[in-house]
Amino acid sequence: MGWRLDDELQQMLRDSAVNYLGTAGGPDHFRKVRASDSGFDAATWAQMGELGWTGILLPEAVGGSEMGLGGVLTLAEELGRTIAPEPFIASAVIAATVLAASEADIASTLGRALALGQRSVTLAWQEQRGTIGIPAFHTRLNGTALIGTKRYVPGWHADAALLVAVTDGAETVVVAVDPAAPGVVVHPARLTDGTFGADIYFNNVAIGEDAVVLRGQAADVALDLAIARGTVALSAQLEGLAGALWHMTLDYMRQRSQFGSNLSDFQALRHRMVDLYSEIELAGASWRSAAKLLEEGAIRGSAIHAAKARCSQVVQDMGKWAIQYHGAFGYTDEADVGLYVHSGLRWSTWLGNAVSHRREALAAHRRERALNG
Amino acid sequence: MADDLNLLSNDAFRERWRSWLRANYPEEWRIPIIYRLAGDDERRWHRMAYEAGWRAPAWPKEHGGLGLSLEKQLIMHQEMERHNCARVLDSGALLLAPVLMKYGTQEQRDRYLPHILRGEELWCQGYSEPNSGSDLASLRTSAVLDGDEFVINGQKIWTTLAACADRIFVLVRTNKEVKKQAGISFVLADMDTPGLTVRPIMNLADEDELCEIFFDNVRIPAENLVGELNQGWTVAKALLGDERIANGAPTLSRQAFEVLEQMVDGIGLADDVGQADRMAQLYCDIQDLAALHAQVADAAIRGEVDNAVLGLMKVLATDLFQRVSDELLRAADEDAGLRTPVGIGGVELDLRKIYMIARPSTIYAGANEVQRNIVATMLMGAAAK
Repeated sequence: MGWRLDDELQQMLRDSAVNYLGTAGGPDHFRKVRASDSGFDAATWAQMGELGWTGILLPEAVGGSEMGLGGVLTLAEELGRTIAPEPFIASAVIAATVLAASEADIASTLGRALALGQRSVTLAWQEQRGTIGIPAFHTRLNGTALIGTKRYVPGWHADAALLVAVTDGAETVVVAVDPAAPGVVVHPARLTDGTFGADIYFNNVAIGEDAVVLRGQAADVALDLAIARGTVALSAQLEGLAGALWHMTLDYMRQRSQFGSNLSDFQALRHRMVDLYSEIELAGASWRSAAKLLEEGAIRGSAIHAAKARCSQVVQDMGKWAIQYHGAFGYTDEADVGLYVHSGLRWSTWLGNAVSHRREALAAHRRERALNG
Repeated sequence: MADDLNLLSNDAFRERWRSWLRANYPEEWRIPIIYRLAGDDERRWHRMAYEAGWRAPAWPKEHGGLGLSLEKQLIMHQEMERHNCARVLDSGALLLAPVLMKYGTQEQRDRYLPHILRGEELWCQGYSEPNSGSDLASLRTSAVLDGDEFVINGQKIWTTLAACADRIFVLVRTNKEVKKQAGISFVLADMDTPGLTVRPIMNLADEDELCEIFFDNVRIPAENLVGELNQGWTVAKALLGDERIANGAPTLSRQAFEVLEQMVDGIGLADDVGQADRMAQLYCDIQDLAALHAQVADAAIRGEVDNAVLGLMKVLATDLFQRVSDELLRAADEDAGLRTPVGIGGVELDLRKIYMIARPSTIYAGANEVQRNIVATMLMGAAAK
């Protein structure tokens, strides 16, 4: 761990995660989910519920474990290391943050099911490609009729509960929508991490008052917080993935011999591995710094953007060199390295890719600089 | 100032240091990156700090320092950066003093440390030789014991600010028959000892800070040996360990980036997409290195020292400083070819000088390629030959 520090709760969670994911997670589990029709393993999700992971941000009143962002990040690191295809961030972080901010009955019902791992919940907020943060919504609630299109809805499967963030013309509203209701059309697409995303069309879908989860400023605040937390957690998950891939690559380089030497003895390769390790160290420091600021309430600064940019970049860089240093074997589906690269493709581009987040980081810095003269 | 600075809250401490700097730091020295205090300016700075109770923040109190927590030491660095203070080498306090505290005799400490504290004596570091740069342990400058004196013969090079120094700490070969690291000793010499001559070397930044030093039968008292005979490599490595934390700081990169921002604004390039993307990359690199540096420093405060990351931060920080300086020249277009300060956006900037000052950082204190070798051994094990 070196300079990285776990508090007592994080150490406990890490031990439990390493223990559980060591047998239930990793490449075999990934392959199984990738081969499944749904892209979702309900049994594993239920076990994560039993471990308290799915309810990690939910209040005790609905069965949550309230372990906070610190716990989320430790789990995200370990889920990243084992390329877990479970919708932990989409559901237990992003959707749960929205549910936890609501006192509506529907939020308690969904929260309870989520905490138990009986259901996963997903939030539909994005409407266009390349969105960073919560956009201005075009999807509208006209009285009781929901009209519009949501894109890139994460963690999609047939039993997922759906929250939709919309405008009623005056303010933001988050509503729960039954995906089987008349007027809802779902176009799922398989993603590179084995899960499904979906574009969802709402054609005059009837929404009752009892389906409203949040409204107005409370909705805006919860949505911003949900994406901020999700972005930092995804960064930690990416860094975990990159670290695992680095070690996997080193293990291969140590046993693969060419020209009478192990690959791990060639200086050009050693220097590249050192540089990749440096980038992973930067990534680990970057998301930790962003997490600290987020816990102090800073949602709009440059730190979260810098973290997602760095962690996305390092996974793509590490992925390219992991394939290269595995040689032709790295190009086969049989080698686990490709599973990591595929997961990394999805995670590094979801919630904004490296270039977009770097731009946002600079923009945030410039706003701050202008404010301070 | 008699009270214990460690008892102040971080905010109160920061405020006290900041207001002292504002009131006392000479205006003519506020040229970051480019200006480095040397000779009488450096002596004056240490003296000022000493008299005001700010000298030697890292030294334990028993040796006359402030005994500040690492956290407060970092605050002092941050505020000096914010105030655009000039660079300062301070080899005596930063490099030699920790060695004397760990390996020196009481007599050596009593003799040298007070003068370092009061800014009365400046030191320089005699390590590199014409044929021993990155492979420092191959050094050949010899010291032979003759009665109660060592006789030194040989040549050192790249000794920073040797021409301004009063004394020098030198690595010398005292045994040629053993493994190269096992025959080196760490000794001290006065710069005005007969037979010792200094020749400044003009560098690409038009400075003559780096020097050659020739030792021609230079006789020094045997008591000037620090640590045991032939233990100099161990002594020197302890010293480099302290140096590396400072070498990993993003200070110069951040200051150069501020210059870049001023210039880009002045030219009207801020909204150019290509320019903004390059700026965004550098900005994120600086932010992330600052985050890593702060967390590594926090770990050091807790007593966790991660040697691999210390070596890596030196590589990251120096490479980054170079990339920011590269971008300064790129943004300046034809003005990058000026040998005079460039007037852009109301700012007078010697871009070429910043670019050149950034060059040696990847070479000194262990060339970056050597750092990568060392870190690779830590992370991946020694490479089979």
